[in-house]
Amino acid sequence: MVLAFTIAAVLWSLIGMAAGVYAAAELVWPALNLDFAPLTFGRLRTVHTNAVLFGFAVSALMGTSFYTVQRTCHIRIFAPNLAWTVFFAWQLIVIAGAVSLFMGANAGKEYAELEWPIDIAITVVWVIYGVVFFGTIAIRRIEQIYISNWFFGAFILVVAMLHIVNSLAIPVSAFKSYSLYAGAQDAIVQWWYGHNAVGFLLTGGFLGMMYYFLPKQSERPIWSYRLSVLSFWAFAYSYIWAGPHHLHFSAIPEWVQTLAMVMSLILLAPSWATMINGIMTVSTARQKLREDPGLKLIVLSLAFYGLAMFEGPMMAIRSVNIISHFTEWTIGHVHSGALGWNALITFGCFYFMVPRLVGQPLWSVRLANIHFWLALAGVMLYVLSMWGAGITQGVLWLSLDELGQVRYGFNEILAALQPYYLLRLLGGSAFFVGAILMSINLFMTISGQRTVTVAPPTTSMRSPAPAAGTP
Amino acid sequence: MNLMDWHRRIERHTGLLVFGIIAVTSVGGLVQIVPSLFQTSLSTPVAGLEPYPPLALEGRDIYIRESCSVCHSQQVRPLLAEVMRYGATSKAGEFVYDRPFLWGSKRTGPDLHRIGGKYSDAWHRLHFMDPRAVVPSSIMPAYRWLAERDADTGGSIQNRMRALQLLGHPYTDRDIYFAPQRLAGKSELDALIAYLQMLGVSRPEGG
Amino acid sequence: MVLIRPQASFVALSEAHFSALHVFVRLALWLGMMPPLCAYVGMTKHGWQLGTVEPLMLPKVTIGVICALYFFALLFGFISAAIIGRWMAGTYGATRDLGAHFALLVVVGAPLVLGSLMHLYPDVFLNLLVLVPCLIWSMFLLYRGLPIVLQTTPEQGMLMASSMIGYLFVAFVSLLGISVCLWVYGIGPRLGV
Repeated sequence: MVLAFTIAAVLWSLIGMAAGVYAAAELVWPALNLDFAPLTFGRLRTVHTNAVLFGFAVSALMGTSFYTVQRTCHIRIFAPNLAWTVFFAWQLIVIAGAVSLFMGANAGKEYAELEWPIDIAITVVWVIYGVVFFGTIAIRRIEQIYISNWFFGAFILVVAMLHIVNSLAIPVSAFKSYSLYAGAQDAIVQWWYGHNAVGFLLTGGFLGMMYYFLPKQSERPIWSYRLSVLSFWAFAYSYIWAGPHHLHFSAIPEWVQTLAMVMSLILLAPSWATMINGIMTVSTARQKLREDPGLKLIVLSLAFYGLAMFEGPMMAIRSVNIISHFTEWTIGHVHSGALGWNALITFGCFYFMVPRLVGQPLWSVRLANIHFWLALAGVMLYVLSMWGAGITQGVLWLSLDELGQVRYGFNEILAALQPYYLLRLLGGSAFFVGAILMSINLFMTISGQRTVTVAPPTTSMRSPAPAAGTP
Repeated sequence: MNLMDWHRRIERHTGLLVFGIIAVTSVGGLVQIVPSLFQTSLSTPVAGLEPYPPLALEGRDIYIRESCSVCHSQQVRPLLAEVMRYGATSKAGEFVYDRPFLWGSKRTGPDLHRIGGKYSDAWHRLHFMDPRAVVPSSIMPAYRWLAERDADTGGSIQNRMRALQLLGHPYTDRDIYFAPQRLAGKSELDALIAYLQMLGVSRPEGG
Repeated sequence: MVLIRPQASFVALSEAHFSALHVFVRLALWLGMMPPLCAYVGMTKHGWQLGTVEPLMLPKVTIGVICALYFFALLFGFISAAIIGRWMAGTYGATRDLGAHFALLVVVGAPLVLGSLMHLYPDVFLNLLVLVPCLIWSMFLLYRGLPIVLQTTPEQGMLMASSMIGYLFVAFVSLLGISVCLWVYGIGPRLGV
């Protein structure tokens, strides 16, 4: 079942990235929409974000959370039938969502574009997911709930809360509804949702992944238990407040903006503490670590995590935001996190998990290393081109000439960005090709599988027994 | 440390953990969202603001359908160069009939909040059919299908207006009754242009 | 030379012993001057090309100041990266000697210095096109060279290299942020904020 989620996540990553690459190409050659509404940038970008967030990221989180919760609670999953239901229902939801988005059903709010029937389906499946996950914890054989599960748990609970509140709407027809909130109030609710979707799905959930797979792969306990406790609660508390930093200089009340800015800066501490915890955990490994491409990816992902979690609060500062808001810099920031942190750590975990799940060694370590370099090159090209574009935009939009008038026309500036869009397309394509190589690698690994059941460990966490099928 | 002993209790008890997480993560949202729901300045329309008439409402829903917000913002910030380029700063009271809000988070293309009345209908028509004919450096895709489709093919305009009326938009029953007539013979392109021509026209006082 | 046969250079470096000052004065300082000098020549001759917008011609004094700041930023980056590396070295079982860190960073930075020749024509796109591959090359040299030059195991070298990259990211992005803040506060291009 974990393998099913993993395969689904890999497939969605390819679909989502293909949509992203095509959309990026459309910014260079707009005629690529071929006069076909579903392929036009607006709709395609929406399909891209939904496929990577709900298809790739959530499938990966569901899979790794089920894997981790079983391993750390020393018990088989609670209600395996329900767990499979979650798998199939979720894939159906994402497929239905993608189709509906292509057709133009759109609620109009970022990362919450799916219309009300699918929103209801999401709620139902999410509740079942929560029941399976927390049910497994409730029947655990180990007294303590391991830290990964706090993060996964927070991810499940907070996303539920965000989704339900933000998606409240009056339905009008099968695929059309109007938001319960309007104008500035809607903006505040939406970005409370939007930012915390990033915070608890893309950050919190993946930290759950990190806290299991990193110590496991390096065969070391977490460096500081106290730090993990402190940073978890500080993280959970402070992230929620950061939403309105997406709304600096907008029509929402200024005190909300300032509060968001301050909390975004405070957020630096717990998020970096978590990163340091992770780095120090793996760094204290004295024995020869296996020459493992998965570990390389996970460790590098922490560097990108640090970047994204530093850049974010920095961009939340009003002075920086003046330049960065509405520009490609935001996109660069998103992708340094999404590609550099989320994708890399997930890929690293897949390289670790899949061989164990199928009882086979990874088909080609060399291919995985090539993937590592393609991924790194892709992200760097993407991020640097977007930094260039974003700062160019931000500065030129606001530039005045000697007479104190606006110096550059909007379209002049747009024309200047073309080369950056092309570079970004190259970067994204490189990353995509790397992911394709990974898919081939994992597929070949899986095809050679023997039937193996990965039994939950019966020894304590202190001296982890190697999983069945470890080379 | 006393706090750590307390925590040991939480991490041995599923229910406590769940409760703790929900409690801790609810605070920020409550503090930021709840007051805004009661703040009248955020829900009081500026003088002269009308809810979107049927054709413009249809246009707005097309704007949402085609995800125009992905490239165009609708929020003029209180920055000198921005006001010079786009017009008066956007005020909360101008958005009270916007469900959902469409402030956007990206300007691949220019901000549209004060686009109303800036360009003629004919200019917009040409621009949608072929953006590069009027703006050579544009990367906006052409939206030719809008001219070929009738407005409100689903026939749902009255339902939509009723739903909004329920949410507090001051439509009269007369407005709703006559809505289909207003859309008769109009294309989606007409609707979208009607919407755009309304944007930002009711300026805030002193704007 | 180091660019063509990095492996041999790394091995040679790990065996040799340098004083930090020696490396700095003989190599780093001069290599660090190349990008700002190229930038100065390029910007005075061609102006700052931002794409199809007409090139930005700034007064020579301003260009001089920008290039001087660029030079100091590079030096700061180089020295701070070495110091941070030395601080981290204990955790990763690597050499603490500052000279070795300096030497490593000189080699790692070599592709970027070479790429900075592109500053002679300061078109932002072309510079990115040349410098990003150089950056990847540098990162590759870092992963390859660190364990050899700083005399640690390949795995710990990999970990330390990733941590160094993390530091360099943060340093660079801070530079972006500080620059942007300075501009918004009026030190730099004229902005209507």
